[in-house]
Amino acid sequence: MLYLNEQEHTTAKKKHQDMIKLHRVHKEYHPNITALCGIDLHVEPGEFVSIVGQSGTGKTTLAKLLIAEERPTRGRIVIGGWDITDIHASQIPFLRRQIGVVFQDFKLLRQKTVGENIAFALEVAGEPRQRIRDVVPQVVRVVGLHGKEDRYPNQISGGEQQRVVIARALVHRPKVLIADEPTGNLDAITAHEIVDLLRKINDFGTTVVLVTHDKDVVNRLKRRVVTLKNGCIHTDHKVGKYVLA
Amino acid sequence: MGALTLSLRDTSHMKLVRTIVRAFKFALQNFWRNIWLSIATILVFVLTLTMINLLIVVHVLTQTAVQQVEDRIDVSVYFKRGTSEPTILEAREYLLGLSQVRSAQYVSSEEAYTRFTQRHRNDSSIINALSTIESNPFGGSLVIQARAPEDFEFILEALNNPQFGDAIEQKDFEDHERIIARIRSVTDRVQWFALGVGAVFLVIAVLIVFNAIRIAIYTHREEIGIMKLVGASNSFIRLPFLLESLIFSLVSTLIMAAILLPALQVLDPQLSAFFGTASIGLTEYVFSNGFLVFGGQFIVLAALSVLSASVAMSRYLHV
Repeated sequence: MLYLNEQEHTTAKKKHQDMIKLHRVHKEYHPNITALCGIDLHVEPGEFVSIVGQSGTGKTTLAKLLIAEERPTRGRIVIGGWDITDIHASQIPFLRRQIGVVFQDFKLLRQKTVGENIAFALEVAGEPRQRIRDVVPQVVRVVGLHGKEDRYPNQISGGEQQRVVIARALVHRPKVLIADEPTGNLDAITAHEIVDLLRKINDFGTTVVLVTHDKDVVNRLKRRVVTLKNGCIHTDHKVGKYVLA
Repeated sequence: MGALTLSLRDTSHMKLVRTIVRAFKFALQNFWRNIWLSIATILVFVLTLTMINLLIVVHVLTQTAVQQVEDRIDVSVYFKRGTSEPTILEAREYLLGLSQVRSAQYVSSEEAYTRFTQRHRNDSSIINALSTIESNPFGGSLVIQARAPEDFEFILEALNNPQFGDAIEQKDFEDHERIIARIRSVTDRVQWFALGVGAVFLVIAVLIVFNAIRIAIYTHREEIGIMKLVGASNSFIRLPFLLESLIFSLVSTLIMAAILLPALQVLDPQLSAFFGTASIGLTEYVFSNGFLVFGGQFIVLAALSVLSASVAMSRYLHV
């Protein structure tokens, strides 16, 4: 669980068992534009949840709310016992060091090598050099990029670039990993490899929230599927399939 | 799933040092990646500092010029022939007792005669005319120097003392205050001009820093986005830009020092020769107060550039 301090830790132990808890979360970008309409969602620790739905149903908005890139218009968001609904701007970096984030467009620094891109997340967090030296090779092995640490992003494939992003998201040992369309730029085989990697990370105990519209990926996972439609939860199946809402 | 307890902030000193060192590394990268913009910024900074230093030099030269003139101002008080030496020396003692008087030199009638003949030794008509007079026509005199030009009015008034006022034949005093006023007027104008140009350069420098930081933010927008995504603190994202503006200020001040110190060493002897003094003291002053002179300039420049960078960040760096 994620706690600000011991007191909140104790309070959280009593009150929360969910890793992610959304309570009647609304998000309106404009009085006429509603992205999410009162979502209630509970994700248990160690769960693998796929958030699916057509374009414009609020999937990415949901992902942005979870990393505090957006604020809900109404409702409450609690992650690991930490109520981030009204999180202060200065606390956001501490939240993001505990939530791994993977996006479709990789977001890698072209002038840095694979190893440097991964180390970057630890460097900006002020981690000691020795810890960086220890952690980077570990996550490189986990994502299967051993031997490619010194290559630049343009010298590796799209699937490998996404693996670098996943590795970077893992360096802080997050309890939650949010992947927003991680397979969107990849071919089917590579997409399956990335999903297998996410499943492997989930097997280690990390809660994974996969936002996708890739039917094959969701059906292959055979895990919980939450379908959004017009900003609302349409279906929520424990072992679901991608059903066009 | 084990519980993860974390503190809101890691405030260890080592972490702070690491953060500053890494932010400094990023600042240097920014500096090199936009090297032409960095050079342009530093150039304007150096021009601004040149104007400020020109002001300092002009100020010192004004003081020297005025001091030179003040040192040469004196009033000669000629006593009537036959005035006894004790009377003149009594007048001298009286004058030296005045706080406004710096010195009062007694010139006896014999010495005055000798000085006159020495001065006009090549003018036979004057020497012949003097020889026709059998006795020494010169009386004793006092050459008085005041502490300040404005003190002469008081001294001249004091010489009307009845004890020896009647023995005085003539008071020879030029209106030196007018000369000093003219020197001050000219140098004041030069200082105001340099101040105006310096202020214009300062405004340009502030605008250039603003633009340099804006461009740096734009060129690093991708990196900044990733920093935010992976949990860099807002202060860590801002710090490299502030440090970059400090680097601009430091490099400019060092370049200014590298230009000014040798320039003064070349100029100082020439200025000293012009003013007829052993040394103007500019070089000694700058060398002995280098930390104060250049440190002060660096602090002013750094404060302005940090302020400018902060405004640019608040406007363009959305963290």
